[in-house]
Amino acid sequence: MIHVKIIHRILGVLLLIESGILLLCALLPVFYGEDDMFGFIMASLISACCGMTFMMIGKSARKREGSMTRRDGYIVVAISWVLFSIFGSLPFYVSGYIPSFTDAFFETMSGFTTTGATIIQDVEVIPHGLLFWRSLTQWIGGLGIVFFTVAVLPIFGVGEVQLFAAEAIGPTRNKLHPRISISGRWIMTVYLLITVLCAVSLRLCGMGVFDSVNHALTTAATGGFSTKNASIAYFNSHSIEYVITFFMFLSGINYGLLFFLAFRGQVRKLLEDTQFKWYVVFLLMFTAIVGISLFISTPYDAAASLRNALFHVTAIITTTGFTSTDYTLWPPFIWMILGLCFYFGACAGSTTGGMKIIRIAVLFKSMRNEFNRILHPNAVLPVRINGKVISTSTRQSVLTFSIFFFALVFIGWFFYLAIGIDIAEAYGISLSCLSNIGLTIGTHGCNIPWSDMPAIGKWFSTFLMLVGRLEVFSVLLIITPAFWKHN
Amino acid sequence: MKIVIAGAGNVGIHLAKLLAGENQDITLIDESPEKLARLDSSFDLLTIQESPVSLHGLKEAGAGSADLFVAVTTDESRNIISAQLAHYLGAKKTVARINNYEYLQPKNMEYFNSIGLDSLIYPELLAAKDIVDGMKLSWIRQWWEFAGGALVMMGIKLRDNAQILNKPLAQLGKELPYHIVAILREGETIIPSGNDTMQAGDLVYFMTMKKHIPHIRKIAGKEELPDVRDVIIMGGSRIAVRTAQLMPDYMKLKIIESDMERCERLTELCDDKVMIINGDGRDPSLLMSEGIEHTEAFVALTDNSETNILACLAAKRFGVTKTIAEVENIDYINMAEKLDIGTVINKKKIAASHIYQMMLDADVTNVKCLTFANADVAEFNVIEGARITRSQVKDISFPRGVTIGGLIRNKEAIIVTGTTQIQPGDHVVVFCLEGMIKTIEKYFN
Repeated sequence: MIHVKIIHRILGVLLLIESGILLLCALLPVFYGEDDMFGFIMASLISACCGMTFMMIGKSARKREGSMTRRDGYIVVAISWVLFSIFGSLPFYVSGYIPSFTDAFFETMSGFTTTGATIIQDVEVIPHGLLFWRSLTQWIGGLGIVFFTVAVLPIFGVGEVQLFAAEAIGPTRNKLHPRISISGRWIMTVYLLITVLCAVSLRLCGMGVFDSVNHALTTAATGGFSTKNASIAYFNSHSIEYVITFFMFLSGINYGLLFFLAFRGQVRKLLEDTQFKWYVVFLLMFTAIVGISLFISTPYDAAASLRNALFHVTAIITTTGFTSTDYTLWPPFIWMILGLCFYFGACAGSTTGGMKIIRIAVLFKSMRNEFNRILHPNAVLPVRINGKVISTSTRQSVLTFSIFFFALVFIGWFFYLAIGIDIAEAYGISLSCLSNIGLTIGTHGCNIPWSDMPAIGKWFSTFLMLVGRLEVFSVLLIITPAFWKHN
Repeated sequence: MKIVIAGAGNVGIHLAKLLAGENQDITLIDESPEKLARLDSSFDLLTIQESPVSLHGLKEAGAGSADLFVAVTTDESRNIISAQLAHYLGAKKTVARINNYEYLQPKNMEYFNSIGLDSLIYPELLAAKDIVDGMKLSWIRQWWEFAGGALVMMGIKLRDNAQILNKPLAQLGKELPYHIVAILREGETIIPSGNDTMQAGDLVYFMTMKKHIPHIRKIAGKEELPDVRDVIIMGGSRIAVRTAQLMPDYMKLKIIESDMERCERLTELCDDKVMIINGDGRDPSLLMSEGIEHTEAFVALTDNSETNILACLAAKRFGVTKTIAEVENIDYINMAEKLDIGTVINKKKIAASHIYQMMLDADVTNVKCLTFANADVAEFNVIEGARITRSQVKDISFPRGVTIGGLIRNKEAIIVTGTTQIQPGDHVVVFCLEGMIKTIEKYFN
């Protein structure tokens, strides 16, 4: 049973919140004396009107509060991401800085899903207000749009559990607090703390205030939008690279564990976490491989090899997608290794995309068990994460997730090949959209050449981004016929 | 001494029998008339058919005036409540049997004392400790530490290749680094004197210090036996889980359990060191495929004593050097020994002996009941002016069946020989036939 009215009411509230945020962004053009204010005002008005309309439709739902179901949750989450992107693209479109609606929608979806692939050829001519909004979409989308709004403004008072469940369907559940809205607030606190610390550190490393704030927003969200065309390479500063590497690494850790580390001083809880250990091992291992390869095959000295390897491996494993140099100029062997890192993502419960380390860990352990099962046919072989046995159903859902993920990568690959993209690049784009990274591999550079792509390619990419960001099932579920049947 | 035992289960009955033989006032309280009927008619004790957690029942059993109240039903929470109630009624000392490792941690002891529990026992943990000790030193059948490990006693099965066979003990030499405190031959316990000899097939109990262990291994002909690295446990009981947790890291363990649901539970209880195998531990082809031939130790811990004995025999045929069987049926223990099963574990005896020490009135801090030898080991602190201090050990007219194994003087371990002079303040370890502790107490007080 789908509760149309409740869904409308919640979507209406969400749109009003977006309208409010857009209105706040309209202050920046005033401050900087630029011409994008009209776009923000219009966007804010339009989303406010739509929000009101939705609220009107859902008005009578008040009487039946509390009857929200899991299905409603999935619908709200999927639709709210699309609606947010549609209304979020209005400032770009109305102000005329991105004249095509397809492009504006693409840019916004790439923002909210923290992909960070940009359609804009020259970022540096875009007004400050729009740039800030662009970075803010990533920050809002970092922990999830619904999560963000529910955690910041707990106004629904209903259905939070269903909404959270629909937006983050990772294999682990670690509630910090018995009340989900309070857990949400704690996690938001950590998020805010990381962002502020990152902004301050970047400022101290010599970055301007506006750039520091924007880069802090997109680093904490592991998004990857930059206010410069050359991304981090523009600043040409080792300290900035290291600071960003550190904060990307931090944002890739489970926020629950970060909370316990920062506010309860529980270091051991973090260090004993299986997922964290695998995350660090993956990072170090790939940094070592890439670093050594760079040292051997390029003119970089040891320090430069290490810095470049560490920066790019972290940027890709955390699915941020910053670059400090064009890594596709390195030998193909190295960028193929980076291409492998495209799959991983960092810890579940962080702002990163990708498959998530915990699934990789479960996958590896299941594979090892299969070999053991051949040697010991009668053995009962469990998969343990943090010393706890993972249930068979969780194991199965991880395996199913992986199959879906790989299948989608291939479907995307064929699609991009069909619309005439180079074979390596097509693979890179498909995987990168699904993992929300925003970079690619291939011989045409690490940035995706969106301007050459037909509109259908861009729409398909936004679909992949959303599917990847909502961890495959949430979106695919609502396009299955069974979901819409009444029983 | 008035002792009330709540729960006529295996441990309760064994303890009641043990204590009734000591001429103590025993009251046994249990709900089940069938369990009590057999006891009432054949032993010198009182049975009360009431619930161990009913105040009325406990009053009737006289828990209020008891010197020792022991709660040993199968249910942990009932034991705790029962002991608390007894404490409330006025029992001087309470003991409860538990199943939870956390409760035993020293930091929690204060809390349990505050709610009226003086002591907790966990038979499965005690049994697991014995098993792990047995595997660490696989050539030793039984192993005890005294006075914090300064003195050790080891039970070793002698084979034809031992160097000390067929010689009277007196001729083995003076100032030996060990003292032979008991010999078990064909089910009979001998507390040896200088004229006794050791023979192949004897289970000999040596008292020694840790530094002399390699020497004992040599003279007992056990040098070529391999150390235990791979272990198979049949039956995923609670003892198996505790054993897995206590086992040192270098040992690799497989637990074979026939019940699939229990297997899944075991995977949650054990960690990655342990491989859980679903199957019948008596099935030779399964044992073969799990590498029984390269396994040094086989431990049978199913609920069924017969199964355990047979499985150990089968494992011996595969060439496993160390086999350990849990035998809960006390009548089978001697048989198991005759069949040459290595170590026999009996939860009831372990638990009962643990409780037994609590009611000894002398300054005894540790009494261990030997499963094979019908013998007790006791530790005494020698008091100023005690009879034992008046002359050298060989000149004291001990009753037959008592020997002094070793002593701790100024924190140093000394092996006792005939010419040793015991001094006040010494901490003495005495070996005697079962039930004789009471009679030898007077030598030390």
